Amino acid sequence: MNTIKLLIVDDIEDNRLVLKAICRKLKNFEIKEAEDGFGAVEMAKEWHPDIILMDIMMPNMDGYEASKIIKAFHPNMVIIIVTAVSDPNMQKNMNAIGVDTYLHKPIDRELVLFKLESISTSLLIKKGKVKALSKKEALNPFNPDIRSFRTIFDIVDTEAMMDFGMWVFDQCAKKDVFACNRLDLIVELFYKLMRQEIKEGHKSSIIIEESYEEIYITMKLKSELILEPRMNDILEAFQSDFIVQKNIVCAKIKKYLESDVIETAEVIYEDKKHTQERLPLTEKTEEKNLKDVHTITKKDKELLRQSFTTKTTAAAYIIDIGGDIMDEILDLASVDEEWREKLSFFEEKPTDENLKNFAESVLWVYAQTINSLLEFTALSYALTSLGVFLKEKADIITQDATKAKTIAMLLENLGHDLVSWRKHIFELQDTQDIHYLDSSFFSSCMQIEGIINDKEISCGDEDEMEFF
Amino acid sequence: MAKTVIIVDDSKAVVAMAELALGELIQSGVIEFKSYLNPLKLLDGLQSGSENFDLLISDINMPEMNGLDLAKAIKTSDKHKTKPIIILTTESSNEIKMAGKEIGVTGWMVKPFSDEKLVKSIKMVLGV
Repeated sequence: MNTIKLLIVDDIEDNRLVLKAICRKLKNFEIKEAEDGFGAVEMAKEWHPDIILMDIMMPNMDGYEASKIIKAFHPNMVIIIVTAVSDPNMQKNMNAIGVDTYLHKPIDRELVLFKLESISTSLLIKKGKVKALSKKEALNPFNPDIRSFRTIFDIVDTEAMMDFGMWVFDQCAKKDVFACNRLDLIVELFYKLMRQEIKEGHKSSIIIEESYEEIYITMKLKSELILEPRMNDILEAFQSDFIVQKNIVCAKIKKYLESDVIETAEVIYEDKKHTQERLPLTEKTEEKNLKDVHTITKKDKELLRQSFTTKTTAAAYIIDIGGDIMDEILDLASVDEEWREKLSFFEEKPTDENLKNFAESVLWVYAQTINSLLEFTALSYALTSLGVFLKEKADIITQDATKAKTIAMLLENLGHDLVSWRKHIFELQDTQDIHYLDSSFFSSCMQIEGIINDKEISCGDEDEMEFF
Repeated sequence: MAKTVIIVDDSKAVVAMAELALGELIQSGVIEFKSYLNPLKLLDGLQSGSENFDLLISDINMPEMNGLDLAKAIKTSDKHKTKPIIILTTESSNEIKMAGKEIGVTGWMVKPFSDEKLVKSIKMVLGV
């Protein structure tokens, strides 16, 4: 059967009627309606629509909750959010639950039809237009270093436009690119350009090229480029991600997620009529808020990020150190026992005295011994700092039973890490890199301090989290 | 069904802190949390079929095996090559990130890690 089942979900009857009237133009579409999120979930269960046009703000159950439930049970159902709001948090959450794409109010009738036809065709026929090239020759003005294949769309008629729309939709469906909301705008711009060209009776082409990190969509126009106001808005919002030359328009899309990826896109909608609408979802996110952040000092960061260009193996390192120091290190086995013993005292009786006793004895001995090796600066500094910190904060820790228990558990694990470190370097001598633990241990100590202070530790790097 | 998240790190402290950060996701049954201190043991489990995962989070500098070598080995397996791998490390140079990217890791997080960002990354990658 080539019929596509479309469910329109909106609590306002007039809105449903408008969408229904638009969608009646579509061939082979069977359309049903639901009045709220509950109705949508029921219909998804009983009727199994292929595509759902979902409003957000509805009584009883909103569009976000309904989409979450539907996607959990029917991940292949395509959900298109129809919204007047472009809230980055909302879109992030929507993307996380697997919402496929968006339609922005006020509704552009032709864009709705275009998207629905693209999606439905994509659902019915899965085929690409990828062809290998023997020689790389980049057409996009961004990057000459492209991969050796490209996809070409000859925009000769509306079917070709549809193929392009399907391709864009597939990129989102495959989660190859995370910035689906950006693609929505990009497809809108190219849709308008394609329409202009076809109206003029010109045959243009769209060429998709890829590097490992980015996708480039280049359109070569036959006629002179005429930018409608809406197109200018989109170009302005994307700025350097678009290059417009004489008869070439090229968009650049990152394949991986950037934390600020939707910041530019949201600018377009700021002046729209319905920005006063705030979703409960956003309020919840803001309310929940998050721990304070402590940014570490420059000195700590340098130590944390120290790198050893030449890796020293344990076997090579041991040959160079003196016998006396080796004895001292091996004697740390007795300190390990003391470590566990003093922690047990603290766990049984979480008092200031027991915690200070732990910090002043075992932590101090470990720090001094490792310091005498002169090789493991970050490790000895981490132990010394942690000891000082525990002594300073002993009262805070011991006032909170849960915190005291957590800290005891984490200190026990740090002890285990040191035993393992000693074993791999000085006993088994089997590691290829004697510094494998240094930075990680220092980082753990800082993170423990963060737990005690109820603060997230940050290095202040912009790229603390990066997706490729 | 809970998604299996495996963390590989030679440090028990890091594993414990990750488990604390993911407490809510674990308790609500969204994810099943597993950990390995030795990457070679995980590889054995994956090769024998006794172990499986939906998301792997791995350290780089470990005594038995480098985390990027672990990722490379996993990416050669037909069964696991498309599964997401996030590197969690103190290393942050562009050179090493590029090496990770070429191997095909999904993302990169630096230590000390933010609980909130770790949760967010996992939710995003797993779509939960």
